[in-house]
Amino acid sequence: MDLNWMMAVAILLPLIAGILVFIIRQYHIRGLIVILTAIALIINSIFLMLHGPDTYTPTSHYWGLAITILDYAMLLFYIYAGLSLKNWLVLIFALTQIIPLAYWEFGMGASKALEEIKPAFVFDHLSIVMVLVISIVGSLITIFALRYMYDHEHHKEIEKSRQSRFLFWLVMFLGAMNGLVMANNLLWLYFFWEVTTLCCFELIAHDLTKEAINNAARALWMNSIGGTAMILAMIYLFAKGGGTAELLTLESIIKAGGNQAMLLLPVALMCFTGFIKAAQFPFQTWLLGAMVAPTPVSALLHSSTMVKAGVYLVLRLAPAFAGSYLGIMVAICGAFTFFAASILAIAQTTGKRVLAYSTIANLGLIIACAGINSPLAIAAAILLIIFHAISKCLMFLCAGTIEHLVWSREIEDMEGLAEKFPVTTFITAIGILSMFLPPFGMLLGKWLALESVFAVPLAAILFVIASAATMVFWAKWLGRLLQVLPRLGRKFESLSLSYSVPLWLLVLGIFVVGIGVAPVYQRFVSFAVNNVVAATEAFAAGWNIVVPSASVAAGGTGALIGSFPVWPLYIVFGVAIVLPLIFVTIKPGELRPVYLCGEQVGGVDTDEWITTADQKAKLQLGGFYWQGATGEGAVNPWFYTVSIALLIILFAVVVGVSL
Amino acid sequence: MGIINTSRIKSPWIMHFDNSSCNGCDIEVLACLTPLYDVERFGIVNMGNPKHADVLVVTGPVNRRTARVLKNLYAQIPDPKMVIAVGTCACSGGVFHNCYNILGGVDKVIPVDVYVPGCAAKPEAIIDGVVLALQKLSKALGVAK
Amino acid sequence: MNQWWIAIIAIIVAPIIGGFLAGIDRKITARLQGRYGPPIVQPFYDFFKLLGKSRIATSRMQFVWIYGYLVFMITCVVFLVLKLDLLLLIFLLGFAGISFVLGGFSSKSPYSHFGANRELMQILSYEPVLLLMALGVYAQNGSFMISEIMKPGAAPLLPSLWPIFIAVLLVLTIKLRKSPFDLSTSHHGHQELVKGIMTEFSGPYYALINLTEWYEIVLVLGIVALFWANPLWVGIIIALAAFVLELIIDNIAARMTVGWMVKFTWAVGLVLCVLNIAYLYLIKGGA
Ligand code: SF4
Repeated sequence: MDLNWMMAVAILLPLIAGILVFIIRQYHIRGLIVILTAIALIINSIFLMLHGPDTYTPTSHYWGLAITILDYAMLLFYIYAGLSLKNWLVLIFALTQIIPLAYWEFGMGASKALEEIKPAFVFDHLSIVMVLVISIVGSLITIFALRYMYDHEHHKEIEKSRQSRFLFWLVMFLGAMNGLVMANNLLWLYFFWEVTTLCCFELIAHDLTKEAINNAARALWMNSIGGTAMILAMIYLFAKGGGTAELLTLESIIKAGGNQAMLLLPVALMCFTGFIKAAQFPFQTWLLGAMVAPTPVSALLHSSTMVKAGVYLVLRLAPAFAGSYLGIMVAICGAFTFFAASILAIAQTTGKRVLAYSTIANLGLIIACAGINSPLAIAAAILLIIFHAISKCLMFLCAGTIEHLVWSREIEDMEGLAEKFPVTTFITAIGILSMFLPPFGMLLGKWLALESVFAVPLAAILFVIASAATMVFWAKWLGRLLQVLPRLGRKFESLSLSYSVPLWLLVLGIFVVGIGVAPVYQRFVSFAVNNVVAATEAFAAGWNIVVPSASVAAGGTGALIGSFPVWPLYIVFGVAIVLPLIFVTIKPGELRPVYLCGEQVGGVDTDEWITTADQKAKLQLGGFYWQGATGEGAVNPWFYTVSIALLIILFAVVVGVSL
Repeated sequence: MGIINTSRIKSPWIMHFDNSSCNGCDIEVLACLTPLYDVERFGIVNMGNPKHADVLVVTGPVNRRTARVLKNLYAQIPDPKMVIAVGTCACSGGVFHNCYNILGGVDKVIPVDVYVPGCAAKPEAIIDGVVLALQKLSKALGVAK
Repeated sequence: MNQWWIAIIAIIVAPIIGGFLAGIDRKITARLQGRYGPPIVQPFYDFFKLLGKSRIATSRMQFVWIYGYLVFMITCVVFLVLKLDLLLLIFLLGFAGISFVLGGFSSKSPYSHFGANRELMQILSYEPVLLLMALGVYAQNGSFMISEIMKPGAAPLLPSLWPIFIAVLLVLTIKLRKSPFDLSTSHHGHQELVKGIMTEFSGPYYALINLTEWYEIVLVLGIVALFWANPLWVGIIIALAAFVLELIIDNIAARMTVGWMVKFTWAVGLVLCVLNIAYLYLIKGGA
């Protein structure tokens, strides 16, 4: 296929499809459009992969003009939003973007220079990995959203359907993300960045409750701080480049960076932008607030878009801070977020908030890997991006499905779900296990990260505590789902196709990509790693993941640093869990009531017992949350203090080096 | 199955349930665990949970309230299982036999394998009772002893 | 092919060693309490008796997770004898632990529920220490492979990693379910929460748990032995000495609370590990 077309499909098709679904208000036709768009995006992303790395500049100058106009339109809209919501933070940070931007483009005359930038888009293997993740995982979410939004409005008994509007922003989001990961021109990168912020704002506010609007505004102003930082970075680069656009591309920053201490400040500013988008401490609250939105939004924000833009940018800039103190600080900031979010997740009673903290934690892990910046760490980061997208998307879709089965987001209300909805519970269990246990991909990534983390020992210590806390909060959530009374004869529930197809495809994805991780790595991820850092080692041998020592990589002989036998462990998983799941059966005669000191009354499946007052009481169990020790009230003051201090140290170090 | 049957004899885990005894027999049951008698020599372990028990040791006469509990606990012990009634009360109701709330001995509610009389039953007698129960079990299983 | 044989032999021999160790445990404990104690082979009698009991169930999933517990524990032992990646071994051990916890959560029983929560807290206590131990080994050897630790001519780890060794002893106490950390369940007949996480497992499945624990004893003592892997007999003696030390601690210590356990293992165990690793980092000047 022609490159022109591929770019158009990747970026513009979602926009066009979005407009179409916005206009056409018929459920089935709209669904068909979304599904066709999803298929087109997936196929297109595969074509892009086959095409390989390339550069692209649209021939017409009108594109540049259009982007400039839309930039200002968006910023003006933010000002309007700030005024109409009477949210001064939104207003202030909109102004801090629009004023420097306008001054820079017109006052300093950057707009001329910007038009000259070639190539406007560069996509290397890292971009291709991102495009695949966005197109495949993101598309599945849009399909899931079709039915979900229908049920959502049905349940809330909303008179006037706003599904069209919702799908418009949702589908368009994918295009903006595709643009973002391929943009080379910094102003265009900034443009796509702002589009994702805007989509995010609109989607969070979708339900138009007071809480939704407040949280959307918070997401807006926090990300606007990031936008401001990016504009400052651009102005700085423009000035350093002697009033030319020479340094205003990602390519040039990466090439020049590392050797030039003076570039460290803009790189730090852009990393800071990435931190905010990736909801790193102390900016985690916008992503937590985003949980009020309908679940497909959360799924999209957490798995393939939005937050992944943040980690993508940090990862992309990794060569620019290689070997500097900035790298170490990035690693420590990321590791701290991994640690803090994992601890906080233990105390959460709402399923979606656990997921949110877990996302924040994993993004911290990825950013820490980018900061460590060895080939091994970068490989870990990219694998984590892929696996996290799949697993987290599955978890959110599960959370959404459960929400529509029990109409609650509270973990306590999910008790005994295994009995009522075995299929959903099975899929959720796979999702949860795949988040933190071997042999699944997320653990493989974490394992790689831990094998590389010794370069920054402080991060190592945060890693290990976080990784233990991760086990606790996932296991106790899954435990609540499994808690059933002794009873047989459960029926498999049937889910709407729009729910079940994405769910099962993602489960399949977890296993296929998980088992095939070594070939996937060799064919594919290793190139992306090489785009970030020159890796001489090959981390895969046959079907296994291995970590050779540096001497082996240099052609010498030496022992391995570590090895991860992939398929043997999947066989172990099969023998340990899958086979018993299929073959263990129990007969009705074998059931006994649970031990209640012999005081239970009723049949085998009873949970009633007689108290000392000779009255019947019902057994009630609740999860542990240790809110006194790990709740937000108890630990947040500390976490805020430390994370703000870390950011200050980060900038102090950078300014110190630059001066 | 030979090894399993031998093991059954060698490892009786007991659960002790007190209906409405005067506590005399209970003290004696616990005395069996002390260093002087040390029933763990024979693999006897005192379990707190019917699901892990092989032998149910019952003391005291059954009253209207404990009858239900006793039945529940008995049902939760996996087969094969033995029941030992320890003390005169547990055997027949003893001194409490005609109280308004007493149903009588344990065998009014669940099948009893061995009766250990005595008020209170001596630890030696209790250990004897367990051994007797094991002999009965080995006979039932066809393992001569 | 050789590797296969080693793995198969380990799978067969490990539980036998573990069973005898459990028997020695009971014997020594009895002696410390002034009793005569059961025969050394008593754990095997218990095991076979339990296998022969009829099966009773409170949910299907609790059985499934017990298989997970067993199979992953066996995998850990195989990882140890095949000298594979230590860090991955610890993660696999994590899966085994989590399987057990989920088994406890799988029935709506207050006692197993409490036990499972406590077991989770135990995991939270020992997991960071074990992971830091792997990092300490890396700091010393530049590799996570157990084969590097056991390579002929490799220096023993204990002299440079003795603070981590002390921390690992704490883990050993938790893993062997010994006082003061026998919180989720214990090997003594009676305890405060009936039988904690094991309350609802009975008969053959309780036997499987016993079997898994035998593998676990061998595994954790094997990890302790790694601290002096050249020559290995010194390590084995150290491991056995550690085992006896645990028994003595078990008999002189009272059970503590869960919160105390987390605080204590983190305050003592983690700090020791951190100081050790920081020292190694400084003298080695980074990776
Ligand atoms: S038999 Fe005697 S000692 Fe035993 S419970 Fe009855 S009255 Fe008490």
